[in-house]
Amino acid sequence: MNIRTKTHIFALLLLTNFGLISCSSISVFSPEAYQQAVNLKVESINLMSFATLPYPEFEEEVAFLNTELDKAYEYAKGRPNNEISTKQWEILINPDGNLLGGFLKRWGEEETLSQMFVTEMQTLVSDAFDTIIGLESGKIDPSEIN
Amino acid sequence: MPNFNDFITTLKDDLLVFAKENFEEYKDELIKDGTLFVEKTKSDLERWTEGLASGALSKKDFEFLLKGKKDLAEMEALKQLGLSKIRITKIFNSLTNVITGSAIKTFL
Repeated sequence: MNIRTKTHIFALLLLTNFGLISCSSISVFSPEAYQQAVNLKVESINLMSFATLPYPEFEEEVAFLNTELDKAYEYAKGRPNNEISTKQWEILINPDGNLLGGFLKRWGEEETLSQMFVTEMQTLVSDAFDTIIGLESGKIDPSEIN
Repeated sequence: MPNFNDFITTLKDDLLVFAKENFEEYKDELIKDGTLFVEKTKSDLERWTEGLASGALSKKDFEFLLKGKKDLAEMEALKQLGLSKIRITKIFNSLTNVITGSAIKTFL
């Protein structure tokens, strides 16, 4: 094989790999991120069920959950090519939004929330977590790439 | 006593007026999207309007739930966008393997 053929092969491989890299605009699967989302879903839904009771009794638990949610958001934000999942976390935990963040904020402001509202919000928040979990579980396992 | 169907009729009428008054240019799209949202959330809306009528939900609760549904729709849309990107990446991965295999088979 002459130098010219070798150069052609090298260029072809470089081109295909470049194509692969440029199209990998979404992060690979992370078992940590997946587990984190599953755990936080269970913990959030569980804590929400107490929102019919006075907020001050659960202030510490809410603060702890908020910290864990912030950690999950920061973890998502720190992963390369992970903008879509990060945006999902942002919507979920936004205190001025109308999912988990907004729910916890309202609980704090109003002390107690009605049973029906809590139950309906648990369904919405559960579905919201499922969108994060569903996307993460659909991501390509790093072992499939190489 | 008004029922859920009365509510849907009123909502569609209100949507039409709102679209005409505020977004004449995008009126058709807005009505289409609004109607689709109503259809998709019909069972939730039915429960929530019952809750509103019975007093189990306040006006603020009702609005919060509706906005929550919109936030959820955004998260679902992001998931679908992500899954589409994953499908494209998988296709390119397979394509890379085929091209590399063909190159090696042909030249080496």
